[in-house]
Amino acid sequence: MEPVIQVTELSKTYSHAQKKAVDAVSFCVNEGEFFAFLGPNGAGKTTTISILTTTLAKTSGSVTNAGFDLDRATRQNRGKVVIIFQKPSLDLNLSAEENIRFHACLYGMFPYRPAFSLMSRAYKDRVMELAEIVGLKDSLRQPIKKMSGGMQRKLEIIRSLIHQPDILFLDEPTQGLDAVSRRNLWEYINRTRKELGTTVFLTTHYIDEAENVDTVCIINQGKIEFTGSPEQMKETLLRRELLLDAADRAALEDELKSMSVGYTIGKHIVVPTAGGVSAQKIISGLKTPLSYLNTHEPSLEDAYVELIGQKEGTAAMKRGSMFDFTARSARERLA
Amino acid sequence: MSTIITSGMQNRFLREINAIITIAARDVTITVKSPATLALTLFMPLMMMGMLGGSLAQNMAGGLGFDYKQFMMVGMMVNMLFMTVTMGITSITQDRITDFTQEMMVSPISRYSILLGKIAGASAGAILQLSGTIVVALLMGIHFSIWQLLSFLAISPLLCLAAGAFGVLIVAFVKTPNAANIIVMLIVMPQMFLSGAIIPINHSSGVLFVLSRAMPMTYCLDLARSVFYAGTPDYSNVVLFNPAICVMGIVTLSVFFLVFGTFFFARSETNR
Repeated sequence: MEPVIQVTELSKTYSHAQKKAVDAVSFCVNEGEFFAFLGPNGAGKTTTISILTTTLAKTSGSVTNAGFDLDRATRQNRGKVVIIFQKPSLDLNLSAEENIRFHACLYGMFPYRPAFSLMSRAYKDRVMELAEIVGLKDSLRQPIKKMSGGMQRKLEIIRSLIHQPDILFLDEPTQGLDAVSRRNLWEYINRTRKELGTTVFLTTHYIDEAENVDTVCIINQGKIEFTGSPEQMKETLLRRELLLDAADRAALEDELKSMSVGYTIGKHIVVPTAGGVSAQKIISGLKTPLSYLNTHEPSLEDAYVELIGQKEGTAAMKRGSMFDFTARSARERLA
Repeated sequence: MSTIITSGMQNRFLREINAIITIAARDVTITVKSPATLALTLFMPLMMMGMLGGSLAQNMAGGLGFDYKQFMMVGMMVNMLFMTVTMGITSITQDRITDFTQEMMVSPISRYSILLGKIAGASAGAILQLSGTIVVALLMGIHFSIWQLLSFLAISPLLCLAAGAFGVLIVAFVKTPNAANIIVMLIVMPQMFLSGAIIPINHSSGVLFVLSRAMPMTYCLDLARSVFYAGTPDYSNVVLFNPAICVMGIVTLSVFFLVFGTFFFARSETNR
């Protein structure tokens, strides 16, 4: 696959700032890829996305979007990308539909007409289709001022999806959305990706939304900490674990020791099961009656918290001694 | 299955024109929807023309050799256009607060189109608001012909362009709505007195003379009066310059303000 976004040694220092907000960041996003750009608050996500969408000038480095160099072909670049901003960027003086119409006409998709009824059939169908997806069909004529924050967010989503761009930048798109709307939105975005091959560049605080992406890129304090698939991230940073307990915990511990299986003790006995240790083999070898048996499949969020926690040196404190082993081994593997 | 949009305006020039119309239409929609703006349409002419102008006409306008009320009406019309358009452009600073400028800045259109759209929208709103000035003028018994009014309206886009370009220069350097409002007031209000909107400046001298010639509105006013008074006996008493000089001055200043202002506006939006 061809890289559709190529970022090389990108840096940004804001005026009057001592520290770089983004520090020599490099990554690439392939055509049709679902790319999640994650990081804690102030990590540099929005700064990077603002540079990629031309709303902020970079200090150094190079960026190519959809084959267009950001410095040399800014306008062509803008024609290929669409962004849902982190902060709402709606005109509160206009109605919901007027905001959508403004956007669609600004992008040259349809000739401007002073009323919805005068717009083309294609525009009207598209607006109604998207309004249905996010549940905003009955509120299109409503003034934005009277809409809740969640409804305004839905409207921004409709506005951005009114055309089918090559690259869709989503800067925390589901912030403020209810669960049903979130699910509908992701279903629609996934469908659009499959139908049109749209590249999606996502930043989000809901790490579970990035579980199904192709690539995860973690930025922290302006620097890239990790790039790879969610599976690679989980494999690199976390181990699968077997959680055991028994009324006679001492007997259980003795059995584990005799099997040369490492473990840690927290609320339950935690046995890491990666690295050739089979959960099946451990369970079948135990004689002590178990009062608790569970397996822990790490989520992307676990891996994310682990990585960011390591950086901030707070992982162990946050997660308790039960995870000491895991955090230590992850650190060793990263080193 | 989602609706596939395959059409779209392919011609770049048409896309830019469409974008200008869209941005302008947004401003007109906001003007029409705003009760405060509509109230100001009547209140401002009442205050400026009815009270200030009326008082000057009654107490100080004797012996001028021409109809002062008519003179002042043309001045107030230009002043209203200038002020409304300039303030319309500086509403971009309000869009910055609500992050709406981002919506325009990421679109694949020229920065000139964004600002020309703002100028067109503010101009259309300002020309609509002239209706209030005309109503107040009729209530005050000021005489003018339909031809004079139409002549004025014909050149009003040029006057609006000058005011808009001036507004662009302001938003290039001013970030907040508060600062923009103060600057507009600090610049437009002295212009009203120095450029001859209310008080004739035929006999200005010294610093006031220099300032009056440096004000863009002086040329807008003089052009408006040269058109309004064309063919009347009062022409030589109220018009200062050859209209060609005014047109040249307006166009030169407008192009300079627009190019210079757009460059710095675009830069200020991305260089943070």
